[in-house]
This record gives sequence, C-alpha cells and structure tokens, in this order.
Amino acid sequence: MDFLGQVFNDALDAFLDFGPELRGVILLTLLVSGISTVLGVVIGIPLGTVLGLERFPGSGLLTTAVNVGMGVPPVLVGLLFLLLFWNAGPLGSLGLVFTPAAMVMAQVALAIPVAAGVTRGAIQGLAPEALEQMRALKLDLPTRSRLAIVEAGSGVGAAVVASFGRVISEVGAVLIVGGNILGETRVLTTLIVQESRQARFGLAVAAGVVLLLISLAVNLMLARMTRVRLVTL
Amino acid sequence: MKLTVTVTVPDDGSRLAVEGLELPGEQTTVVFGPNGSGKTTLLRSLAGFEGPTELQDVAYLQQRPYFFRGTAGYNLGIGLNAEAAAWGRQMAEEMGVGGLLDREARSLSGGERQRVALARALAAPGKWILLDEPLAAIDRADRGHLLGHLAGVLDGRSVVVVTHDVEVVATLADHLVVIDRGQILEQGDVATVIGSPSGVRSAQVLGVANLIDGLAREAGDICILEHGDVSIAGIGAVNGPGRALFGAETVTLRVPGAGISSARNDWLGTVETILHRGQLVEVAIDIGVRIVALVTPGALVDLSIEPGSEVGVSVKATAVRIVAA
Repeated sequence: MDFLGQVFNDALDAFLDFGPELRGVILLTLLVSGISTVLGVVIGIPLGTVLGLERFPGSGLLTTAVNVGMGVPPVLVGLLFLLLFWNAGPLGSLGLVFTPAAMVMAQVALAIPVAAGVTRGAIQGLAPEALEQMRALKLDLPTRSRLAIVEAGSGVGAAVVASFGRVISEVGAVLIVGGNILGETRVLTTLIVQESRQARFGLAVAAGVVLLLISLAVNLMLARMTRVRLVTL
Repeated sequence: MKLTVTVTVPDDGSRLAVEGLELPGEQTTVVFGPNGSGKTTLLRSLAGFEGPTELQDVAYLQQRPYFFRGTAGYNLGIGLNAEAAAWGRQMAEEMGVGGLLDREARSLSGGERQRVALARALAAPGKWILLDEPLAAIDRADRGHLLGHLAGVLDGRSVVVVTHDVEVVATLADHLVVIDRGQILEQGDVATVIGSPSGVRSAQVLGVANLIDGLAREAGDICILEHGDVSIAGIGAVNGPGRALFGAETVTLRVPGAGISSARNDWLGTVETILHRGQLVEVAIDIGVRIVALVTPGALVDLSIEPGSEVGVSVKATAVRIVAA
C-alpha cells in the first residue's frame, strides 16, 4: 500500500477507535476555545462598538492597538503570558503556568482584538442615516450601542465567527503557555504538531478532520443564531 | 422671547453662513426656499449636527427619517420614557397610523413611516422642535387633514420647519423666513412677508404675493373663499376658515369692460400703487381686498394704468390654492 493510503487507514483506525486520549483532547479543545471565544467577544464586541460609535481621548490609540492585535503572532502572545505566569514571573505565585486557565487567558487576549476590530468595522459600515438618527433621538451610549449591534447584525455575527476561528486554529500560544501536556493541556492543534513531529500521521490527520468538523458545526450554529436571534433582540 | 442666531457651517467656509436668523419662541417659524437653498443644512446646523448650536434642547425630524429593525411601535418608543411614548402612540393614532405600530417599521410605506417619525419627533422631549419637510412623503389627498392636525399640535410650541411647500407655509407659519443660496432674503410675520415681498427674488422664490383669509366652502370640483364682498375660486378642499394663495405673476390686468375673461375670478378694481421691481412692475389693486399683480412695463403703458385708475383683474381658478387657516 502506498504512503497516503496507509495514512488514511491509520487515520480511520484512530477515528473509529476514538480512544480516551482523543476524546479528552477534543473536550479540552472545545472547552478552552469555547470559553476564550465567549470571554473574547463579551469584551471585544462592546469595545468595538464604542470605538465605532464614539471618538474620545485615546480612541485613536485604542483603535491602533486593536488593529495591531488582530495580526499579532500567537506565539508572541504565548511567550508574553508564559513570562507573566512563569514561577519566577510577576504572576508566578498564581501557579497558572502550563494550565488550561493560562491557555484561556492567552486566547482571550488573541480573541478580543479580532472581535473588537470586526465589530468596529461593521458599526462604521452602518448607513450614516442610522448613526444620525441615533443622534437625532439623543440616545445615550448604551442604547446607541445596543441599537448599533442589532443593526449591524450579521457583521457582529462575523466578529464571533472570526474570534472563534482565531482561537480554535491557533497553535503557538496554547503550545507555549499550555506546554502540550497529555491529559492536561493538549488540544487538537498541539496534538497535530506532536504527532506529526513523531511521524505518527494517522492520529494527526484524524485530529485535523475533527478540527474541521468542529469549525463547520460552530459556523453553521453561529450563522443560524445571527440570522434568527439578532433580528428579534 | 426671540432668539437671533447666526449659523455658519465651517467645512469650507462658503457652504452656509446665515446671519441674524430670527426664531421667535412659542411660535412656528417656517424657513422657505427652493431646493438647494440651504434649508436642510440650516436645520441640521440648528440641530447641532454641524457643530455647536445656539438652540438648547432640540427634537429633530430629519428629511429622511431612519427606522431601526423592529416594529413601528418599537421605533416610536426608542429613547422615550413611558409617558412620552404613550403620548407618541396617541399622536400616531390621531395621524391614522395607530393600527400599524405592531408592523415591522421597514415594511411601512413612505407616507406611513413619515407619520410615525413625525409622532416620534413630536413626542420627544425638547424645547425646540425642528422639522425638515415634515409632509414630503404624504399623499396630496391626506395633506390637508394632516397639516391641520399638525398646526393644532404645534400651536404654542417653539418650532422651526423647513419646506419648499407653500401650503405648509400658509397653514403652519407664524413667522416666515425666505432663504435662497444660503442667504436670508427676508423674514417676518407671515402675512406681511407673503403679502408684500420686499424683493423680486423673494417674490419669485415664494411664488405667492397674494394671501387672502376668509371663509371657504367646497363647490363642486372647486373651492370658493369669501372675503367680505369678494369671492375667490380656487383649488382646495376646505370648509371653514381658509386662506387663498396665488402668485402675483398669475394675475392678469385688462381695460375695464374689454371683453369677458374665461377666468373664474374676474374682478373690477382700483389701482393703489405701482412699484418698479427690476424688469417688472408690481401693481397693487383694491378689489375689496388688496391684491398684487406683476406685469411688464409695456402692459402698464398699453393699459394706461396709473394710481387711481380702474382696471379689470382676472386669475384662473387653477392658479389659486385654498388651504385651511
């Protein structure tokens, strides 16, 4: 049998076997990425909304920070959090190094700029008449923000999708702050790195397929939610 | 209380600079001008959209009000407290859109949306109410009723309306400001400004130099307005106190007794004054009420018109608008 056929067979075996190892890794992936996305959008969407609606001292700086943050390499963020949580580091006493909690924090830091940046773009893309109407009605910032998010509906939905995409596909930050410890901090992306480095391609491919399926399922779910829920919010 | 404001829209300095705009409080000021005269910019600026404004506490209805996702009722209530929202709903009811408040706002027709937006602007807290072409999207058939209603609601409040609709001027205005190309041509009490515009340009802009109050009644397909012994036929659907409007240029003069005119309005009058206004001549005639005609200097000579002379005066009924006063 040729090489690729062998890899496919191994992947199928690993998939059908669906052992506790793979199951634990999937669960942790969903948990870490899910919590990171939720926290990231809960902070990032309001931030992006305010940046899209208002100009205030420091808003330009904040916008630049968000734009830079959207493209910052995950390994750099991972390194920063590793230094923070390192035993001798400033937050070392918390004992968070190589824990899922540290992974979540690093990923939240990656998700916030994406959520904020995409939201800000969607808000600024609203019809000028809509923004003017809010001013004509003399609405306060919380009311304007709520209206703007609903108006920008699918644009804000895209912010959630993009944030989830950023964290689920990311390997650098979780590898560095998590340490890729089996049963503790290993997630699908770090599993793929680990397995392919040892030339065990079957499990790597199986993990990759699972990653794809998760991405697809989450996207379908979010698309449904933004279509139905945001309209009636 | 009267505010005198100066409005300058910074941008490039030349866009709009209106000096000495008079805005009497507790009255309706109508700013009238042709399209592109700077009306909307002026109102936006008064509303504070172009920089700091001298008006405090403003409720502003845009020319094209925007509706957010949600029902018309939801849009009506955005940013209003319970009391104001209830009042807004009542307004909507009175303007005939009360039954539409549960419908998706964006599914309403232009006219329906305009009424909801009007109800929202009237219910919003604000000392000054600024309305930009409040009846632009309303069907002609509904205008009379709605204008009458609006006049009642606005009575005693401090209002600025911009429009290029003479009917709106005649029904709503206490104080009239005529502007063109960002400049005030004239301003003052509505009857004074419409009755005797001080310049050719403002007479042209207004298109109306004759405003006659009286008692109107519908008669078949026309409307008759009685003022003392003078009766004026025009277009309108008014029964009760009314106001006839027609332009000075629609009035034709002839030698008395020379032929019978096809015009429904055919009077005999005495020339009061003759004023030269640029290329044209403004002739004021007493026919039982004072009316103004705009003619060429040649016509003046042909008819040998001078103060005190008798003259035949006619206006087609289709040139006269009769609105509720």
